[in-house]
Amino acid sequence: METRIKRVMASVFGIEESQIGDDSSSETIEEWDSLRQMNLILALEEEFGIRFSDEETLETLSLRQFIDVIGSKTTAG
Amino acid sequence: MAGLSYSEILRENALLGKSMEGTPAYTIAVLSNIVVAQLNAIFEHPLRRAGIHARVSSGDYDNIPQDSLKFREADLVIVFWEACNIRPLLQARANVMEAVEIQDLVSAVKAEIDFVLNNLSRTSLVFFNQFSSMAFNHHVIGRNNFDRICEELNAHLTAKEDACSNLFLVDVEKILASMSVSKAVDFRFFYSSKSLYSIEFFRAYADYCGAIIQSVAGKARKALIFDCDNTLWKGVLGEDGFDGIEMSARSKAGAIFEEIQQIAVELSRKGVLIGLCSKNNLDDVNHVIENHPDACLRDASIAIKRINWEDKASNLAAIARDLNIGLNSLVFIDDSDFEIERVRSGMPEVLAVRVPESLHDYPELLRKTSRLFYSGVLSKEDAERGAMYQREIERKAGISAFQNVEEYLASLQLGVSIAIDEIRDAPRLAQLTQKTNQFNLTTKRYTEADIRNFIDSRSDSVVSFSVADKFGGYGLVGLCIVCRGVDAGSATIDTLLMSCRTIGRNIELAFFDFLIPFMKDAGIEAVEATYIQTQKNNQVIDFYERVGFQTMESTQTVRNYRLELDVYQPRNLHYISIRYGNQN
Repeated sequence: METRIKRVMASVFGIEESQIGDDSSSETIEEWDSLRQMNLILALEEEFGIRFSDEETLETLSLRQFIDVIGSKTTAG
Repeated sequence: MAGLSYSEILRENALLGKSMEGTPAYTIAVLSNIVVAQLNAIFEHPLRRAGIHARVSSGDYDNIPQDSLKFREADLVIVFWEACNIRPLLQARANVMEAVEIQDLVSAVKAEIDFVLNNLSRTSLVFFNQFSSMAFNHHVIGRNNFDRICEELNAHLTAKEDACSNLFLVDVEKILASMSVSKAVDFRFFYSSKSLYSIEFFRAYADYCGAIIQSVAGKARKALIFDCDNTLWKGVLGEDGFDGIEMSARSKAGAIFEEIQQIAVELSRKGVLIGLCSKNNLDDVNHVIENHPDACLRDASIAIKRINWEDKASNLAAIARDLNIGLNSLVFIDDSDFEIERVRSGMPEVLAVRVPESLHDYPELLRKTSRLFYSGVLSKEDAERGAMYQREIERKAGISAFQNVEEYLASLQLGVSIAIDEIRDAPRLAQLTQKTNQFNLTTKRYTEADIRNFIDSRSDSVVSFSVADKFGGYGLVGLCIVCRGVDAGSATIDTLLMSCRTIGRNIELAFFDFLIPFMKDAGIEAVEATYIQTQKNNQVIDFYERVGFQTMESTQTVRNYRLELDVYQPRNLHYISIRYGNQN
């Protein structure tokens, strides 16, 4: 799952997957602005067939957080 | 493109963009009063896949009037003016506004629309979304103020569409209907980020508009070739016989095939070349087309037939050759997996469409496919094209009876009729620049608005010509745009093209016999010209040399030429008469 998330992030931000590390967040990746946050959410929803809540769309702002949130949504299935 | 996820589109689009670096870009500006950032890549992607180096840039948020000045030079401007954000929360506020307030608002927005369209009046192409209340009002019974505001603004836009040749109104509600409002709209980011639409909506939007751009860029398909058995009619002619096949609304299965034939006739009237390619006996098929009481698709709508027992791929190649068009201009429809597979693997440029197993989906599939033939305006030539190609085939059949080509050409009684700066022809001239690939020296694509700009300009001349012979008229087939230089005695040929239907008749040589004295009379002493190589215009690579131009510095793909008009040697072809204005 982590690799899939990284791959989507790389496409959305237009950077290399290798530039995304375990501690990557909107603080460390320059391209991660509010517009791309929206694109990232939409792309990840499509990738994993899930839907983020309003709060999650605003508050999930790092790779780790995305792994947690997506994990919690996909384990049930 | 169907099948790719948004992130895959982003990835592939970025790669395509990189591979196209250095090639001329088709620049697109999106002006919007809501956030439509996802549109950029989704719009670029299918165009880049089709070989158009599309580059989308966005205007500033809610800055449409200001940006209409800033981006007027773009090849295409998309105006994404969302009704709900004309004023904040208009979808709700409108319904509690007084009538006079609403009138003030509508007048103000109309004035803004006029300002924007005026600023964009010289832009090649403008897509303007029609206003829609549907995202909010599809539950509302009856009409409320918000609906009425949209209707009034749309009426204003529709009136503008007739006056602005570069304006294309995008019917957003058709796009919404194709996918359902609930799938098209995503309110999660609306209140926080002013973004209203889903990824799926933008896909459908790009799909809808893409066909128009492809046509402007000269990539529309031109011919639709049908198999016959179980494609144009229900049944197998060789087995079920003349009386056993069905193609009329009187029977359930026949109704579908009548609809297919009606659509084919409609397309032929719009200038699409309709052809038949079937493994059958020619006489049997001709008997059906000519005499079957239920047939709608008759010879008058059919440009070409290849009915024999040979391989379909080679028949399609022959069809493309006879019609003088590329394989990538063909769409082929057949009910046999074998034939479809054969064509897809053997000639991938041809779009091969399989008749669906569930026949009730067939008419819709054909309607959807029809978009690929979209060609903006319908000119008189379009409507007559099918018949014209038929005559072309008759002409070719006549060639062998003569000793040499000149003798044959003389027998045709060719006449060329010249027009200069003829504004009424602007739609057809734009279409010629968009569709002509073979005899086209610079392959510059222009919209109707571009052509009008050339015509209006005092320093440019738009010289066009029609051709006729004893078999009938070919219509308006040639265009030459001459631009005066800063130095009064010099000029440049910006565009020189001729439709493929009049290639091989030395029309171009006769035309130069007219053009050179015409330029001389205008005080021009020397003219410069360029040949820009494409995949399709090899046949004119030495055209300027053949008419006597001197070669200037050249690269592999771009050749520059110059001609002192005084040294031009006229051809004086006795078998082509040239007429300009009232003189004979």
